Amino acid sequence: MMVRVDPTDDQLASPLGRVSPLLKLAIAGAWFVGLFLTTEILPALALAGIAVGASLVLGYVPAGTLGRGLAPLWIAALAVGLFNGLFSPLNSDPALHELAIIGPFRLTEPGVIAGVGLASRVLAIAAIGVLFAQTTDATRLVDSLVQQGRVPERFGYGALAAYQAVPRFAEDLSTLRQARRIRGLRSSWHPRLLVGLLVLAIRHADRLALAMDARGFGTGPRSRYRPMHWGLIDLGAGAGAAVVLAIVVVLPRVT
Amino acid sequence: MTIGTGTSANTGTSANGGPDAAAWRTRDIVVAAVIGVAFGVAFVAFGVAWRAIEFLGPAQNILYGAWLMPAIVAALIIRKPGAALFAEMVAAGLATLLGSQWGPDTLLSGFVQGAAAELVFAFGMYRRWSFPIVVLASLASAAAAWVHDWVVWYAASSFEAVAVIGVFMAISAIAILPVGSIRLVSALRSAGVLGGFPD
Repeated sequence: MMVRVDPTDDQLASPLGRVSPLLKLAIAGAWFVGLFLTTEILPALALAGIAVGASLVLGYVPAGTLGRGLAPLWIAALAVGLFNGLFSPLNSDPALHELAIIGPFRLTEPGVIAGVGLASRVLAIAAIGVLFAQTTDATRLVDSLVQQGRVPERFGYGALAAYQAVPRFAEDLSTLRQARRIRGLRSSWHPRLLVGLLVLAIRHADRLALAMDARGFGTGPRSRYRPMHWGLIDLGAGAGAAVVLAIVVVLPRVT
Repeated sequence: MTIGTGTSANTGTSANGGPDAAAWRTRDIVVAAVIGVAFGVAFVAFGVAWRAIEFLGPAQNILYGAWLMPAIVAALIIRKPGAALFAEMVAAGLATLLGSQWGPDTLLSGFVQGAAAELVFAFGMYRRWSFPIVVLASLASAAAAWVHDWVVWYAASSFEAVAVIGVFMAISAIAILPVGSIRLVSALRSAGVLGGFPD
């Protein structure tokens, strides 16, 4: 079972690590809208490249970590690309020049290009995901959501309390799998594992909630241990992201 | 949150439709969050399986219901406004932090899936938890997910092809998700961990 390795202190102290997580989410959202407006290859690949480059240079993400994060991706990119390429409505347009006929499928050039465009979109979204995940830790994310994004604090910090139990759940899961193996059951992955996992998780949640209530969780105004402030670095990140979006997505349409 | 409502939320015993049935106790919040987190952890494993069946093409989506499960399960246990959306968002947020291959788009998926299920439970005034309403919530959640996936992942495909995916997702939402969720909740209930939650 993979237990998450948090971003290193180096990554969290990097320029991108210091940008407000809420702002990073907003930037990701704006870039997504830009991506969804086009099925062309170039804008998506450019955004993917910029996200990878920014992770390496501004996020101090080690190339190996980045590679491991993006490695499983080719399957999803291939699947999405193939689906869109094979089932593009352009393929049935008799006016278009056909590239190949594979079984029942007729492939045309614009259809294939659309498929590659969507595969590039997968790459771009995943690259943005690695950038976000590798420069953000859960605590700062919740601090930012609550203090800068007006997420209700009981829910935000309640979720954070549950998040702290991730290593415990991963351990529970491997204990449950071992228990299955000891009982002589062949497959150690089974949907029933979820029942055991949730039983242990809810027991843990009950104790946690009791402890939190004992400390008066959510019963009064909350003081801030880690105050979040908007800073110049946020302004820089926001402006940079807007310029990138404008150049990558808007410019090809104008020219 | 003011001191007054906070206190009543923490001690509120009106699990079954009293005046502050909608107020969340700390336990409700943490249990819903933990359900989201546990599913988020399970999703890491399920994501590997999902990639392994990518070769099935549209038929892969017969298992789509698994992604929608935290919303349904949390709503069935907590039975308060926002439970479905909150748990699904926590699961999606965790998946994003763990480095899901769909990146922050997982958050968007989680939001539309959770919100759609939430809407159906809201129509039942959070008082109706019969099998049909669970099926309806599952279907709504899958429908929202389908529209999202169409716009985001299958934007260049023909409607017929996307419709085939939708059929598999609908089958998953009708045949697998409600029964799976209800059985999971009743297994938890018989394990004795849901004391203090509405039956």
